[in-house]
Amino acid sequence: MSDAVIYDRGYRSYEGELAGRSGVRKAIVKDGIRRILGLRRKARRKILPWGLLGIGVLMAGIFIGLQFVAGSISAAIAEGLPSYPQLFDVYSRISLLFLAVTVPELIGPDRSQGVISVYFSRPMSVLDYLGGKLVAYLLMASSIYLIPQFAFHLGRAALSDDGFLSYLGSNLDILWKILAATLAFVLVHGGLLAVISAYVDRTAFAAATFLGILIAGGAIAGTVAEAAFTGARYFSFLAFDGHARYVRDWVFDVDLDQYAPETAGFSPWVSALSIVVIALVGALWVYRRYRRLA
Amino acid sequence: MSEPVVSVRGLTHRFGDVVALTDLDLDVPAGVTGLVGANGAGKTTLLRVLLGLVHASAGSATVMGYEVSADPIAVRSLVGYMPEGSCIPKDQTAADFVSFAAELAGVPPKDARRRASETLFLVGLEEERFRYLGDFSTGMQQRVKLAQSIVHGPRLVLLDEPAAGLDPAGRAQMLSLIRRLGGFGINVIVSSHVLTDIEDTCDSVVMLAAGRLIRAGALSGRSLAPTISVEVIERGRDLADHLASRGFEVSLAEHTLLVTDPSDDAFDAIRDAAVELSTGILRLGRSAVTLEDEFLASADS
Repeated sequence: MSDAVIYDRGYRSYEGELAGRSGVRKAIVKDGIRRILGLRRKARRKILPWGLLGIGVLMAGIFIGLQFVAGSISAAIAEGLPSYPQLFDVYSRISLLFLAVTVPELIGPDRSQGVISVYFSRPMSVLDYLGGKLVAYLLMASSIYLIPQFAFHLGRAALSDDGFLSYLGSNLDILWKILAATLAFVLVHGGLLAVISAYVDRTAFAAATFLGILIAGGAIAGTVAEAAFTGARYFSFLAFDGHARYVRDWVFDVDLDQYAPETAGFSPWVSALSIVVIALVGALWVYRRYRRLA
Repeated sequence: MSEPVVSVRGLTHRFGDVVALTDLDLDVPAGVTGLVGANGAGKTTLLRVLLGLVHASAGSATVMGYEVSADPIAVRSLVGYMPEGSCIPKDQTAADFVSFAAELAGVPPKDARRRASETLFLVGLEEERFRYLGDFSTGMQQRVKLAQSIVHGPRLVLLDEPAAGLDPAGRAQMLSLIRRLGGFGINVIVSSHVLTDIEDTCDSVVMLAAGRLIRAGALSGRSLAPTISVEVIERGRDLADHLASRGFEVSLAEHTLLVTDPSDDAFDAIRDAAVELSTGILRLGRSAVTLEDEFLASADS
């Protein structure tokens, strides 16, 4: 047997197939998902995302368990229990925290640690980069809202006296309602977080800024929108979170609370449009910022 | 002569009122080329123009046969880049970062992992490849930066101050790695303001001063062109005239003569002339015109 040792393998140029720009975009999406979940990062980076996810799944389990226990006693009691919009309300608060602490990780460290100078030296454009990050965000943010909701939906179907398939068939409308409400939250939070993350380097500061804007915006909107001066009602547009909650209530046809846009007399369509505008302005703003940085 | 890897014509770039590059005409040959100049000379701007990250205000640049402004993506698929500043994600392992850098160049994930391991082996980080980059020393981080720039098999690598911040041992290792890249057939443009690094590492040099080209050409045979330095006690002018009459090219500064392009018997001729003129020689020896001498002379002019 030879006892030869390789001290130097030298260097070989890469001769294999290249995946092209679609491969590059996929790599950015994959990296984005890993960043949000803290995968391939130190253990402490996993605590918050996985902890909040765990709480989310636990809440879905509790809601299904309540339905099961109450349903086994009396169908009337089960009818009176919190359902989809209430679960959505609980979820939107958990998700808010989840997105606040994970989304800044998507783009902030690349910029603050100077890594984008390496990324943009690769065969990709700013649109490839931001597009990949956006897809990663949409996939993760939507999943966090949708998976527990669908789990709850399937749980209710399994407990239904009408039978599993019959329940699913007669409650198809709930699917688009879940999707529409999810979209409202994902867009408005995503738009705000993207702009903040494009400027604030530290994740904790970005998360605090985001939550601060939501709280302060809601407070200003709630206070000023009802004032007596002309145009006061337009301050209700500052209730960023209120727009999403107003749309959710509208979609699920419930009235869980009073929101500033509603109090100011705006229809839910105006809030839906505001959400789209916030998302588009956020996307354009971040694009312009990164065009300069690239 | 082979095709130049980089060709620049009339390249000008302004940042507002500040002119970073002025009407550059330049052909960079294959091999390892040094890009030298003082801080603010325009080296980094030129590298960023070549990558298509900065759009030139005027003129054109061609890299590996592709016009940069027309097809920057094609250029970047053939080029690797090591920025000067920090570009290390501290919460990732070296293997993950270099592998991701390969994927961003289009290398499939499985190949990217293998290439990352091989490249980290090449730069001497095979044992540390699963450590987090935040725990790396400056020298190790510089080697990771070099690894990411070559992991996808580029034909040209642009290295911006690769030895910056390194101690002498780290500096020597980095320069040795850069020399090896040239040996592997990778074309390299390495920017530095440390001229001895360039002299030790490169085949050719491009000198910039205040955004202008002051010299471009091969290094071989230039800095080692022998010159004899003669320091005399007196009658320096007579000795210079005497040697000039014998066909030597001589310059005189105070009591020191520089005899350039000398023949094999130059030492004998200088000794004989000194005896003939009865003047004493304080010091006699070879000297070489360094890149630094040349840069300073060119920059002054």
